[in-house]
Amino acid sequence: MASWASGCDSNAMRFETGSTRRRWLRRLAEYGVTLLLAVSLNFLLPRAMPGDPMALIAGEAIQQMGAERIAELRQVYGLDLPLGQQYVRYLGRLVRGDLGESYRFSGGRTVVEVLADRFVWTFLLVAVSMTIATTAGALMGAWAAWRHGSLRDVGLVTFLFALRSVPPFWLAMVLIPIFAINWSLLPVGDSYSFPRQTGIRNLIDIAHHAILPIVVLSLSYLPTVFAIMRSSMLDEVGANYVRTARAKGLKERTVLLRHAMRNALLPLVTTISLDFGQLLGGVLLIETVFNYRGLGAMMFEAVKSRDYPLLQGGFLLFTLGVLTINLLTDWLYGYLDPRVQGGQA
Amino acid sequence: MITKMTDRLDTTSKPRLSRNLYRVVGLVGLTMLLSLILLATFPQAVAPYDPGERVGRPFQPPGPEFRLGTNDIGQDLLSELIWGTRVSLFTGLLVGLVAAPLGTVVGLVSGYRSDVISVLLLRLVDLTLVLPFLPLVILLSAYVGQGQGKIILILVVVSWAAPARLIRSQVLTVLNRPFIEAAQAIGSSDWRILRLHIWPSVRGLALVQFVLVGSASILAEASLSFLGLGDPSSKSWGTMLYFAQASGVFLSDAWRWWVLPAGLMITLSVLSLILVSYSLERWSDPRLRAR
Repeated sequence: MASWASGCDSNAMRFETGSTRRRWLRRLAEYGVTLLLAVSLNFLLPRAMPGDPMALIAGEAIQQMGAERIAELRQVYGLDLPLGQQYVRYLGRLVRGDLGESYRFSGGRTVVEVLADRFVWTFLLVAVSMTIATTAGALMGAWAAWRHGSLRDVGLVTFLFALRSVPPFWLAMVLIPIFAINWSLLPVGDSYSFPRQTGIRNLIDIAHHAILPIVVLSLSYLPTVFAIMRSSMLDEVGANYVRTARAKGLKERTVLLRHAMRNALLPLVTTISLDFGQLLGGVLLIETVFNYRGLGAMMFEAVKSRDYPLLQGGFLLFTLGVLTINLLTDWLYGYLDPRVQGGQA
Repeated sequence: MITKMTDRLDTTSKPRLSRNLYRVVGLVGLTMLLSLILLATFPQAVAPYDPGERVGRPFQPPGPEFRLGTNDIGQDLLSELIWGTRVSLFTGLLVGLVAAPLGTVVGLVSGYRSDVISVLLLRLVDLTLVLPFLPLVILLSAYVGQGQGKIILILVVVSWAAPARLIRSQVLTVLNRPFIEAAQAIGSSDWRILRLHIWPSVRGLALVQFVLVGSASILAEASLSFLGLGDPSSKSWGTMLYFAQASGVFLSDAWRWWVLPAGLMITLSVLSLILVSYSLERWSDPRLRAR
């Protein structure tokens, strides 16, 4: 009897892992297709526009190149080949990690080198701001839903509506003169000072430069998180288990934090990950205002100097970032919600 | 003590503020929006100068002659601000006017039908939604160019997917209701079902989406112009901020009359649209009024 039961169990297990694996493979395929779309967009844009595609691939750098170098590059990109062959060649170069050369940050630097250099700084800003905004936004949203309909709820909602309407880059433009110039509290521009400090001083210096961008970025993420959390929490406040928890005599705080909020967090995770593509853009403008050494300011420089390879590389990296977050969320979801195996929301 | 206890347990109690709050909010938003539209339609009636003309010395502080001072080449900032309303507001509204109906049609088709076309449409919606919004817009506009029409086109290309997704899920919810089955059973045509049974529950959402896409597009246009990707021939609020940043406005007090008003105008227009959408949402779906 026992062996029969265990056999049955292992069968069920095998079936379970099989279907999970299949689901994951499908997920991965979907992400692969999205990435391919972004890559194809990069491939097609310079070729579909009127004018010499060479100028659109190499950017302004073409003016400084000799005829020989241009002919050589034409060969590399295979611009006289049929489109299909060009595409295969393009993908081949991409797989080898070749995104072309940057003109703006030249001196023979490849786009990949520049991206690797810039990525860390953007990652720092986004990761810290996202953590702050998610924590604060979730707490505020949950609290507002808990006190739903009260004056404080309405006040909070109004404030966050207003905050949502403020262009983040303008907020940065207003904070810089106040904090960095009038009061000289914080440095402005770049992500560290010259000459570079060492050891612990270096870390303090970096934090010092990151404070203002992080404040602005967190404020720009806050309304989204708050709105999602508040509406997700409103689905929980009337639930029976909340009434039960209260009837047991639990403290209001415990009911809110341990019971209701836990359940409301699940939709928050998925929705943030779905909105991540929209949220990520803000960092681009804020880095530009602060002249911060990240990918956003880099894209701005690339736009200004028509550095197309760099622009495409930046776009690709941002896409990759969004996809990674989505994939991570799918994986995380299985842990957060035991009812779900492999992230079927 | 007893009443307090039952009060705490009564989770269905009514919200303390009036359920008609949404009407007030909508009225406030609509008033703001209509005044902005008025300003955008007749800027010449209020603007003291031609915004393109150099009427004073550069970098003049506010005074009786120039209420908001002058910019780096001596143009009147107040006139620029007033004329900028036209570019910023109409760009946003136009994008909403094209992208929201487009998304609605896609949502209706992909929600109601389950053939190859609707599956492909759905895939396209998902793919568009995953791509990072602003980097995509910047990439496109770097290649396509900087005319006002081109900006609108680019914003439509990136904005139709979100409404499509929402409308589709609404259609799917309605499709499960018994009255659809009943209509199909008595042999109603697809067109009749869409028009009489599905459209009424979708149109409110479509209207809300129009307003929301509009507000997002005002912000997106401001961002693009701020990065120097705007139309150089018609200055929007974002363009004003671009020139302010480019001329190192932070080092003087000029940011107070150059940067502050332009950003406040963007905030006001986006806020007016958000308020209107909030109210419309509740007007079209009474269940939301309690939230």
